[in-house]
Amino acid sequence: MTDEPTRDELVDPPRSPAMEETRRRSAALFVELSAPDVSPAAHTHAREQLVHLHLPLVEHCARRFRNRGEPLEDLVQVGTIGLLKAVDRFDNERGVEFSTYATPTIIGEIKRHFRDKGWAIRVPRRLQELRMQIGATSAELTQALGRSPTPRELAEKIGCTVEEIVEGLESGNAYSTLSLDAGDDNDDGAATMLDAIGSEDESLEHVEIRESIKPLLDALGDREKKILLLRFFRNMTQSQIAAEIGVSQMHVSRLLSRTLDHLRTALETD
Amino acid sequence: MPVKGSEELPGPADVELRLPAAGAYVSVLRTTTAGLAARLDFTLDDIEDLRMAVGEAAALALEVADEDTDLIARFWLGDRTMTVSVATDATGSASIDEDSFAWQVLTTLAASASATTDAGRLDITLVAEATPLEAAL
Repeated sequence: MTDEPTRDELVDPPRSPAMEETRRRSAALFVELSAPDVSPAAHTHAREQLVHLHLPLVEHCARRFRNRGEPLEDLVQVGTIGLLKAVDRFDNERGVEFSTYATPTIIGEIKRHFRDKGWAIRVPRRLQELRMQIGATSAELTQALGRSPTPRELAEKIGCTVEEIVEGLESGNAYSTLSLDAGDDNDDGAATMLDAIGSEDESLEHVEIRESIKPLLDALGDREKKILLLRFFRNMTQSQIAAEIGVSQMHVSRLLSRTLDHLRTALETD
Repeated sequence: MPVKGSEELPGPADVELRLPAAGAYVSVLRTTTAGLAARLDFTLDDIEDLRMAVGEAAALALEVADEDTDLIARFWLGDRTMTVSVATDATGSASIDEDSFAWQVLTTLAASASATTDAGRLDITLVAEATPLEAAL
């Protein structure tokens, strides 16, 4: 964040002969790029030239987002991705200036960078990287030590301070968006964590049923088993099952209810 | 200063934190706890356990806390051990529910834990110990 603030970064710089030259070259390169008989090598070359030619535009855009906590280089980098997209999508026939077309794409890319998928609190890239490094190193050390490492051990291994590790771990908590006890900011002071956990988990009960039903299912005939599978796991209708195994739908219905009755009584007498 | 058991706390706490008794501040408490534990050379697992235990203690305390009161967390730092007390004014409720999920989690995660209610003041104290650094098997 050491670069000089420029007075006119929000105003389009005045047209200069140099800019005219840029425009001329850009137009020529696009003609070359979109020529129907262009060779792959020439295409790549023209594309590269175009990107280089318009890099100052990316810098110009990136500078608008300076001082928002992201290093300028990062912004230029993601902006360049926007530039690449613009170069690839630009239609020479439209008769618009390339810079007019590219600017929103570049800025869009930079903004997307700020939204940075998934981070609840915007965590600086440096911390995100540290967090990943902590993750990898901690897996490694866990393997080597036979227990989870301490922040001190991590710091030694990574070559940073314990403070940074603690910071990195905290940023990790910002990544998995909702903290159980974050609370919804209403003032009744309710223990939100408990609220969330207070209900009985139905699937727990299902585990039990599933376990006791297993041997019963195993005892079923192949056809019965198949019908159950198609009906309840593949969610097929009785008619579909009938078509599948080559019997009438009525027959499927009878087999199904008989099987279910059988299972039910067997479960209850258990 | 070795800290064992939670009945007799050795003098004043090393760190004290006073927070509004509201759910939104529990994360601050948990973060502080994790930061302290990191400095006591707890392992990452220990830190996560402790963070969770303290969160549960706070949840329990908040459930019975009076309105507009504070949560006071005190930390006694030992040699790879930490005692944490979470206290609040709870004139309405006599004691916490030891069958509750939160208490179960808390007692499972901490080396020891106790809850006392005295003159309308609830105090949940837990002791956490770091995993020995020699390769544990």
